Amino acid sequence: MNNRVIHTPEGFRDLYGDTMKSKVKLMDSIRSVFDKYSYQNIETPTIEYFDVFSSDIGTTPTNELYKFFDRDGNTLVLRSDFTPSVARAVSMHFPEEAMPVRLCYEGSTFINSAELQGRLKESTQMGVELIGAESAEADAEIIALTCESILAAGIREFQVSVGEVDFFKAIAESTGLDFEKIENIRKLISNKNFFGVGELLDESGLDSGLKEALEKLPQLFGGAEIIDEAEKYAFGPREQRAIKRLRDIHALTKERGLDKYVSYDFGYLSKYNYYTGIIFSAVTLGTGEPIAKGGRYDSLLGNFGKDYPAVGVGIYIDQLMNAISRQGRAPLM
Amino acid sequence: MRYLTVALTKGRLARQTLDLFERCGIDTAGAMDKDTRKLIFTNEELGLRFFLAKGPDVPTYVYYGAADIGIVGRDTIIEENKKLYEVLDLGFGRCRMCVCGPASAKKYLDSGEMIRVATKYPAITKDYFLNKKHQTVEIIKLNGSIELAPIVGLSEVIVDIVETGSTLKANGLEVLDEVIPLSARMVVNQVSMKMENERISEIITRLRNELQKQNA
Repeated sequence: MNNRVIHTPEGFRDLYGDTMKSKVKLMDSIRSVFDKYSYQNIETPTIEYFDVFSSDIGTTPTNELYKFFDRDGNTLVLRSDFTPSVARAVSMHFPEEAMPVRLCYEGSTFINSAELQGRLKESTQMGVELIGAESAEADAEIIALTCESILAAGIREFQVSVGEVDFFKAIAESTGLDFEKIENIRKLISNKNFFGVGELLDESGLDSGLKEALEKLPQLFGGAEIIDEAEKYAFGPREQRAIKRLRDIHALTKERGLDKYVSYDFGYLSKYNYYTGIIFSAVTLGTGEPIAKGGRYDSLLGNFGKDYPAVGVGIYIDQLMNAISRQGRAPLM
Repeated sequence: MRYLTVALTKGRLARQTLDLFERCGIDTAGAMDKDTRKLIFTNEELGLRFFLAKGPDVPTYVYYGAADIGIVGRDTIIEENKKLYEVLDLGFGRCRMCVCGPASAKKYLDSGEMIRVATKYPAITKDYFLNKKHQTVEIIKLNGSIELAPIVGLSEVIVDIVETGSTLKANGLEVLDEVIPLSARMVVNQVSMKMENERISEIITRLRNELQKQNA
């Protein structure tokens, strides 16, 4: 009887006892924050058509999706994220008059990631989507809700770092450089490579103002004073709009007394076209991965035939639990 | 104050890095001492700690936050492919990742036919042949003395780090193509960069100023 399988596949696990108890408690306290902000529950299926998570829509590489077929030969996937599912459901069930809608969800997501990264392949996510609102108030509401959820989890030391992808997009477009070069610059900026951008641009014959702006981007992160510094490089109306948006968000988070948890990062970019305005992630000590990620994706619902702006956040419950337990457990030295 | 921990790549890279830190006026707490059996060196005044690790482990320590900062070759960063901030090119440890083989093997690279490639760096090799050369290859992972492979007929060519080229020459091999230039880089944990922004930026700026002075 030695061959009986009683262990789980790699990346999947059983939860029981104290760990399960603290997970339930953690999710309860986050639920009460969602409730306080009047978010309504929505449930979407675990399995969706592949098209809902295709590369133009999702943020999971398609080779990391769990895929299989239905009886008719359609490709199905296990959801890797909730946002595309919720966007699809809203396009299907909510008319324009119902806007704005506040929806919250919780459940498992599945990502077939590379082996030995110590990452779970099935992980629990809780999150919200605010659909049909494009104001700075909406952005600030989501950021505030993120801070309050993390505080409710019992974590006191964390940073939500907020970027604005359009600031870089606008600068990049006005340089007139080709796609490949811009993609290289984006990577260097995302890596916070302080000096690589300058080296790359040395022979490009770029206008000195634009060159300086791109060179500066990897270092443009920090407190609210960074917004003022970034304004020096806001040459066009789109850049100025991005600056104004972050300034408004800062004022609104300050009103709520949450500004000490929020920092700004103009070099926070995404390789996906998904994000159209703010983008943010929350980090804390004890876990190398963000505990929450969110942003604005005004064109996402367009993929499902509706023209609603949207902003939201997903909180990674398992990462949050890692952080909580590791912060209470100091290393030996 | 929380300690900032620096992971160094054992060997020459570590000595050059510690030397650079000392020149910037950052005391490295006797980590230079070759005879010591200690694993970790603490500078209490600045709240800095140093330890030595094997190259491929440095990105791992930094990714998981066991070290805030790492000093490691670019080859290892690309090969390990972890989410890290790569903030600074330290300029030393300069060498090249190259495709090498006997001169007669050059034709295989131009013809695009299926060949065998031995390497210690399968990820870099795969990216180079599939995405840049558009050539299908069979990659054979080896752990050392890669130069042997074409000599004993295990592979047609190899992908390896070339510094002076003297090992290649002594074995009748030569550089057939350059894959990427390499040098030592400073990497930073993404969470540390946000939580300890001021202290880490201070170190980066001091190192950069020293490097610029040196190049001027």
